[in-house]
Amino acid sequence: MKGWKPMLAAVVLAVFSTVAAYGIPPRPEPQRLVNDLAGLFSPSQTQALESMLVEFDDSTSNQIAVITTLDLEGYDISEYATRIGLEWQVGSERFDNGVVIVVKPKTRDSGGKVFIAVGYGLEGAVPDAYAKRIIDREMIPQFMNEDYFGGISQACTTIMKLASGEISEPREEEEDPIWIFITMFIIIALVFIVIGVALENNGNGKGPGGRGPVIYTGPIITSGRNYGGFGGSSFGGGFGGGFGGFGGGSFGGGGAGGSW
Amino acid sequence: MKKGLIAVLVAAVVFIGGFFWVKNAYNAMVVEDENVQAAWSQVENVYQRRADLIPNLVATVKGYAAHEAQTLENVIAARSKATQVTVDPADLSEEALAKFNAAQGELSNALGRLLMITENYPDLKANQQFSDLQAQLEGTENRITTERMKFNETAKKYNTLIRKFPDNIIASMFGFEKKGYFEAQAGAETAPKVEF
Repeated sequence: MKGWKPMLAAVVLAVFSTVAAYGIPPRPEPQRLVNDLAGLFSPSQTQALESMLVEFDDSTSNQIAVITTLDLEGYDISEYATRIGLEWQVGSERFDNGVVIVVKPKTRDSGGKVFIAVGYGLEGAVPDAYAKRIIDREMIPQFMNEDYFGGISQACTTIMKLASGEISEPREEEEDPIWIFITMFIIIALVFIVIGVALENNGNGKGPGGRGPVIYTGPIITSGRNYGGFGGSSFGGGFGGGFGGFGGGSFGGGGAGGSW
Repeated sequence: MKKGLIAVLVAAVVFIGGFFWVKNAYNAMVVEDENVQAAWSQVENVYQRRADLIPNLVATVKGYAAHEAQTLENVIAARSKATQVTVDPADLSEEALAKFNAAQGELSNALGRLLMITENYPDLKANQQFSDLQAQLEGTENRITTERMKFNETAKKYNTLIRKFPDNIIASMFGFEKKGYFEAQAGAETAPKVEF
C-alpha cells in the first residue's frame, strides 16, 4: 500500500501524455477555414479572411485553413500543421489541394512560430523554398510588429496566386433550396401549360396548327427572364459566406516554417 | 440413403463456409499487405528525395567553406552508404527496417554536423540558393517524419489483422509475416534539428 503514490503519479502521467499525443484540435463544427484559437484577430478581420478564403475555395477548390494557437501541445509546429491537415482533411480528395497555416504568436516566455503545410497536390505550386520565402518576407516582418492579420492575409494572397496557377477547378454550386423550389415551380408550370395547350387544341377541335405553341411561348420566355433576374440577386447575398466543408485532402509533410 | 445425403449436405455447407472464410480473410490480408508496401514506397521516395538534395547542398557549401572538407566527405560517404541499403518491399521485417534506419540515421547525423558548421559562414547563410536548399532539406525531413508515421500506422493495421484469432491461422498458412515499425531511435533523436 505504500507504493500507491508513485503508482497514482504514473497513472496521471500516462493519462496526460495520452492527452498530449492526441492534442490536435478537432475539426471545427461548423466547419470554417479561419480558426483563431489564439484570439489574434478582431471579429471583422476574421470575417474578412474567412470570406476571402471561402471565395477562393469556391472558385478554385483549393482550401487554405488558418489556425492560430497559443499551445502546440508538445508537437513540432511542422508536425502540428501536418496533422491538422491530415485529420481535418483540408483540400479535396481528388487534388489533395489543401494548405494549412499555423501561427503561434510570440508571448512573454515563448518565441513565435509559423508553419505553412502544403498538401500533396500543391507541392509543385508551392515548393518548400517558396513557402519559406513567404514566411521570411511576408509574414515574420509583420508578425514582429504584432500585425498578425496583415502577415497572414498577405501570405494567403501569395499562396492563392501560386495555387490557382496549378489547380483551378470551380466548385460545383450547391443547389440552394430556393433554386430547387423555383426550378420545380417552373417545371410544374410548364407541365400545366403543355396540358393547357393540348386541352385547348382538343377542346376547340381545330387542327394542331402552329397557333397554340406560338401563343404560349410568350409566358415561357417571360418566366425564364424572371428566373434569371431573381437568381442574380439571391446569389450574392444568400450564400456568399458559407464554407462548404473540408474535403478529404492528404498531406505528406511538405511546406516550410519559421520562427521569430 | 437419407442419412448419407444429409452428411453430404453438411459437408458441402462446411466446405463452402470454410472456403468463403479463407477467401475473405486472405483477400483482406492481401489488401493490407499492398497498403503497407505502398506506404513503404512513399518512405523510400522521401529518403531518396533527401539523397538527391545532398550533392547540390554539398556543392553549395563547398563554394563557401572549402576547408571543411572532412565534414563534407563524411556526408558524401554516409549518403552513398545509405543509398546502398535497400529494403525488399516483400520483406519489411523488423531487422530489415532497423538496418535501413541505422544507415539513414548516420546520414542524418552527418547532415546535422554539416548544417552546424554552416552557422559559421554568414556569407553562405545569406546565399539565396543555400537558403532555398535549407528549406527543401527541412521540408524533406518533415516529409520523412510524416511518411514514417503513415507507414507505422499502416503496418500496425496489417499486423493487427494477421495476429487476430482465427485469421492468424490463415496468415501463417499463407506466410503473411509481421511487418516492422520505425522505431524513434538511432536517427530520430539526432535527426538534424533543422532550426534556422
